[in-house]
Amino acid sequence: MGYKVEWFKGIFPALVTPFTRSGAVDEQAYRQLIRFVLPHVNGVVSCGTTGEFSSLTLDERKRVTEICLDEVAGRVPVVVGTGCKSTRETLILTRWARDAGADAALVVAPYFLKPTFNEVYDHFRAVDEIGLPLVLYNIPQCAGTHFRWWTAEGMALDFDHVIGIKDSSGDLPFMEALFEKVRGHVAIFVGHDEIVQAALAAGADGAILASANLIPDIWQQVYQATLRGELAIAQEWQQKVQKLVRIVVNCSSTQAVKEGLRMMGLEVGDSRHPIMPGDGFRREDYEELRVQLEMLGKIGKAPLVYEVGGRRIATEVFATPQTPRVVSDLTLRVGEGFAGPPFHELAHVDLLLGLKDGPVGRAIEKALAGWGEERGLRLISEHPRTLLVPTVTVRTPRQRVLLYEHAAAGINMAIQASIADGFLPEALLDQIALIVNAFVHPAASIARRITLNNYKATLQAIRKAIEGRPTLEELFNEKVSARHPFRYAP
Amino acid sequence: MPAKVAWLRGLFPALVTPFVLKTEEIDEDAYRRLIRHVLPHVNGLVTSGTTGEFPYLTRQEQQRLVKIAVEEAGGKPVIAGCGASSTQEALALAYDAAAAGASAALIVAPFFLRPSDKGFYQHFYEIATSVDLPIILYNIPQMVDTYLPRPVVEDLADLPNVIGLKDSSGDLSYTMELLEYVGDRIDILVGHDEVALPALAGGVSGLILASGQVYPEIWQAIIRLVHEGRLEEARVLQRSIQKLSRIFCRHGGGVAVKAALKMMGLDMGPPRRPLKAVGGALLHETQAEIRLELEKLGKIAPADVPFACPSAPLAERFLELGITPEAIAAGGLRVGSGTAGEGLDRVQIDLIAGGKGTLLGEVYALQLTYPLRGREALTTILEPALTVRPATLLLPTVPQRNLRQANMIYGPTQSAVARAIVDALEIGRIPVSAVDSEVIIALATVHPQALDRHALYRSAYAAAAQALTQAFAAAT
Repeated sequence: MGYKVEWFKGIFPALVTPFTRSGAVDEQAYRQLIRFVLPHVNGVVSCGTTGEFSSLTLDERKRVTEICLDEVAGRVPVVVGTGCKSTRETLILTRWARDAGADAALVVAPYFLKPTFNEVYDHFRAVDEIGLPLVLYNIPQCAGTHFRWWTAEGMALDFDHVIGIKDSSGDLPFMEALFEKVRGHVAIFVGHDEIVQAALAAGADGAILASANLIPDIWQQVYQATLRGELAIAQEWQQKVQKLVRIVVNCSSTQAVKEGLRMMGLEVGDSRHPIMPGDGFRREDYEELRVQLEMLGKIGKAPLVYEVGGRRIATEVFATPQTPRVVSDLTLRVGEGFAGPPFHELAHVDLLLGLKDGPVGRAIEKALAGWGEERGLRLISEHPRTLLVPTVTVRTPRQRVLLYEHAAAGINMAIQASIADGFLPEALLDQIALIVNAFVHPAASIARRITLNNYKATLQAIRKAIEGRPTLEELFNEKVSARHPFRYAP
Repeated sequence: MPAKVAWLRGLFPALVTPFVLKTEEIDEDAYRRLIRHVLPHVNGLVTSGTTGEFPYLTRQEQQRLVKIAVEEAGGKPVIAGCGASSTQEALALAYDAAAAGASAALIVAPFFLRPSDKGFYQHFYEIATSVDLPIILYNIPQMVDTYLPRPVVEDLADLPNVIGLKDSSGDLSYTMELLEYVGDRIDILVGHDEVALPALAGGVSGLILASGQVYPEIWQAIIRLVHEGRLEEARVLQRSIQKLSRIFCRHGGGVAVKAALKMMGLDMGPPRRPLKAVGGALLHETQAEIRLELEKLGKIAPADVPFACPSAPLAERFLELGITPEAIAAGGLRVGSGTAGEGLDRVQIDLIAGGKGTLLGEVYALQLTYPLRGREALTTILEPALTVRPATLLLPTVPQRNLRQANMIYGPTQSAVARAIVDALEIGRIPVSAVDSEVIIALATVHPQALDRHALYRSAYAAAAQALTQAFAAAT
């Protein structure tokens, strides 16, 4: 029979494994990350899914765990991911973890070659016999195998060392079945960031989360509020972080968390290939994650100076390591933004930002005086002077409304947001002009999405124009793997 | 004992149901025209199948379609689609079909509230034992979300009235399993256009296909070649229609078939709502692709498009942008040109680069305010949100008549130019100092009838690399 331990409850971040630029485990960054989360958490997990265990060698998994145990130094429990595809390797690593001083092993269901339920059962039975407290780990999105409650129930009640089950499926009916069958016997942890509050309220003992690298303090508040029975507070926090965690869960969580930490000033490198920037964690997700972290107060402001015609205009902006301190050439800056889904309502903005008495300003006046009417150009803001240009010819009355009302509203929202967040300081507005090429698909229908997608795309485009993104490094790293959407037959 | 019927062989088009614009009433004249068009090439007809939008038709309408088909069929068998989610309604449809003179009823596995094995059996059993009309079972998991369980089919095949099964799954392992278990007792027909040839080679008796009304004579030729054992020739034919078949199966169904028929002069009207004639399951881009494929098959005549690569002296090719040879010299602008590929795959890239503060900077900004109809300038990207640097505009020299042509420019051509620029930057051909200080405008000339995206990408990359080498030769 499994059992409950007093210490296995609350918030446990599934720590990312930092890598140096050359791809080695970055010990210093790992220690820094642990120091960052430690004040807010009840324990930590090394070498979980978010820790990229499947991209680490056995020796590296041992080394990462050693660093973790050393840095934590007994202040909180350390749960170690020791699951492998085969029983043989899982046993080797779990025995090692027991001898190294881990508090428990988190063991994922064997993956790729999908074993049957009875094979899964016997796999965990062999691991259980090692004697290290065992957390069974269900993550069908990755493993391809879903425990099902009868297997989980059997393992939790038949084995001697099971202390908990981590369920990352996000499948609430499954969790409820676990509560029905084994609650009180072993701890039940939720591992799906999008349903943490719901699972805790329903009776989960704690949460092991990728996003707890980024926002351990907020998850601790959700946990504490739930313990106090203040569900409304817990719900409010969950809703505040919902967009952020949806990105983390659905978009290559390890890369998303790592780029989030980088934006917050904690450099932990990128994920190992095949996980890479701009892939599952898409560029538009990067921009959205950044905005969410800003709204939660996780990215600080830094000074930025615009040098315009001998004048210095100082402002403060939410800064990442890519944000410059000085922007000295505003002649003509190019930014592009992209936001979707859905397909028909996606926004793709080409934006020019430049001086009024430079090429951008002159082009606007020439266009308005010449072919403005005929080509459907529209001034949609005076401050800064902003010209909306339809990227493709508007063909239907509906497309016209969606472009000039709904897309334009989104673009203006983005300009206002950029004024508010400092990227477009008041003192600059009279000296610059914007040309915004926006696109509305002829089959688009959902007006609300068109507004929001154009808002997001324009906000990105303004920031990218000012910050000079993408960087050459990004272009060089991704030129081979870039996927152009129209390059292939539909 | 069940008996195979002799007539259930060959090609049966799953007819679309024509509707009148706005009123959405059935257009009987159009239906008759369609049947007369296909009749010489087919072994029978199928009314109100999935392609015929059966879920949107009333019982009376479905019976009316059967009556028209029987009138027009000249004695060829008519298979009436009698699909419904409830057994009661399917039964009623089958009675109607029998009364209207149908030769068989095609009955889809019950959908929405999906039964388990017993319910599936009971549904078909009740119909087969109540109505004096042969029954064809219909497996289409793409719509029903469940396969007809093979053990259930095994038992149904013993019912006297069950003569066949139409398998639209496209899943050959399932088709082969059916042939193995019930192929001796009932006829198996394939309903998935993409795998018709392998299914025929595997032993199915016939085809019930959406595309059977678009290119029936090609399907008949394939059937004949398979029976004669001339598989190599059959493969060539199947490949010639593979893309269209894929579009009909996966990217629009009956809506795509209606689009194709309309291009061929057979206007079957719009689909019933909520389906859209275009812009729903059938994308505008796909519609353009259908036209191109029909041109290739000779079903419609290709529009003759004049085409020539710019041949004026290089410095004069930017006059349309307002940049004269004198301005190029005065502004110290860089120009370069490259050409690669043959025939339809030929691409010419003429590009101009220079400082943002020069005339070129203003022209760059102006181009983004001037959507030339069919010649919109777009920022060059490796992929969305990955803009190349220096910032580059790509401008087609030949107006794009439709979305497919536009896709050739803004897809393969653009991504090739983007890659050539980043490569030139990485090897130092384009100096790093140009990244922030310069802009590029690339004029792309691509044949309006270009077909091969892969070849186009290679041509465009080579042409852009040449043009960049020439333009930036002095820089290094």
